Amino acid sequence: MNATWLLARRAIRESIRTPEATLPTLAIPLFFLAVNVGQAARVFPTETTPFLHGQSYAAFQLPSSLLLAASFGSAAIYLVEDIERGYFDKLRATPIPRSAIVLGRLLAGMVTALLIAVLMVLVSLPFGIHVEGGVAGFVVLIALMAAWTLVFSGFMQLIALKSRSAAATQSGSIVFFPLLFLTPGFVPRELLTRPMEIAASCNPVTYVMEAMRSVILEGFVAAPLLRGFAVLAVLLAITFCLNIRLVRRYD
Amino acid sequence: MTFAVEAEGLVKHFHAKGRGGGTVEAVRGVDLQVRAGEVFGFLGPNGAGKSTTVKMLTTLMTITSGTARVAGVDVAAEPDRARTHIGVALQEVGLDARQTGRELLVLQSLLFGSNRSTAQGRAQELLELVDLVASADRMIKGYSGGMKRRLDLASALVHEPDVLFLDEPTTGLDPASRLTVWEEVRRINARGTTIFLTTQYLEEADQLCDRLAIIDGGLIVREGTPAELKAELKARVGGHSTPTLDDVFLDATGRTRERGAGEVQEVSS
Repeated sequence: MNATWLLARRAIRESIRTPEATLPTLAIPLFFLAVNVGQAARVFPTETTPFLHGQSYAAFQLPSSLLLAASFGSAAIYLVEDIERGYFDKLRATPIPRSAIVLGRLLAGMVTALLIAVLMVLVSLPFGIHVEGGVAGFVVLIALMAAWTLVFSGFMQLIALKSRSAAATQSGSIVFFPLLFLTPGFVPRELLTRPMEIAASCNPVTYVMEAMRSVILEGFVAAPLLRGFAVLAVLLAITFCLNIRLVRRYD
Repeated sequence: MTFAVEAEGLVKHFHAKGRGGGTVEAVRGVDLQVRAGEVFGFLGPNGAGKSTTVKMLTTLMTITSGTARVAGVDVAAEPDRARTHIGVALQEVGLDARQTGRELLVLQSLLFGSNRSTAQGRAQELLELVDLVASADRMIKGYSGGMKRRLDLASALVHEPDVLFLDEPTTGLDPASRLTVWEEVRRINARGTTIFLTTQYLEEADQLCDRLAIIDGGLIVREGTPAELKAELKARVGGHSTPTLDDVFLDATGRTRERGAGEVQEVSS
């Protein structure tokens, strides 16, 4: 059986056995969705807000929450635990490709994120959110989130492999703040102040968020989707290559 | 003659962290020959280079210079092939606390290329070997220190390695658990597996090892059977009583009992 899949299965089993670590990944983004919508929904009524395309403000906010759920980097926390407890060396002593050790973790993280995304969207549906792109749009939305999970977890795993310290890896997650908040999270990019617009335009998460939002609010619009997937493809290639390079050179 | 473990001029340098930087010479040219089927002890004070040598021999650390072969396979040139001949239980017990003992052994066996039914059979066999059948389906996080050490030993044996490396396998264990591990080591060795054992406990080396080497400052300073080493010291220093392995160790590493009591844990066992 493929080593990556074997290790992914073990990591999924680990997540199932630690619901206390997985549940916040679902609960915190839903909490932020409720709070953000509660604070700003009356400022942006559906009838008079063109950028909502006839949907509620919650639909506009959903991508932010999905991206938040995908940015916990749990895979890296489990990986650094393996390193600190010596199990990582046990795996390195087997004749499997070293890349399987990091890719297995990422694959498991992606599967977990997919389940969380499905749950979040299903929970959102009764609150008037619908995905304009239909079932295919839903699949694209989940695929975008899964890809972002791989990118963010991959980045966190780089910190884990380099630092070999749980504390340093946890601290590394601070990068999540600029990545998720320097974005058009509350209004479209063109309505941001100029400095904020520049910052958001330099942030790759902006393009992933806009791609997700376009699928929810407008259906299939080529430009934002292409930009979103292109950004993800580049980031995925970089994080995968760096992960494989680091784990192969791990000494 | 093919040796189970053979090292020539093994060197490991690290780049030192911190303001001074520079290079730390952890291992400075180790030559070793371990015969197939023997229990070989590798002794030395803390920081002497024992664990670094073991990590190089088991492919877990790159070699700065020199060569090492395990079961005839060059560990630097063919690490994956070498790993199929090597079992390793490091100083830190390498277990995943969120798996059961059985799950861990099955997974380890699958990673060494077994199919699922073979892996399950092998796991059961090993659980019996280390007397963990009753706890096999419990989470490892609930195991005692001795149970974890035995499971770690078992996980190093899933692929029936030719050479088993044990890095301080009894450190931190109570006397009863230590005796149990000794029994396991003897049993594994009796099945034909060569054992390369590092230890801080000289009594352990005396009890278990056919031959041993003492490393200090990254260099081998003594090598031979426990009896040969004691006889050599007696011939050189004289005296009425036969030296103990403690005496050999202290002589080889230039330490005294006074220093040893406060500084070198190895001599206190």
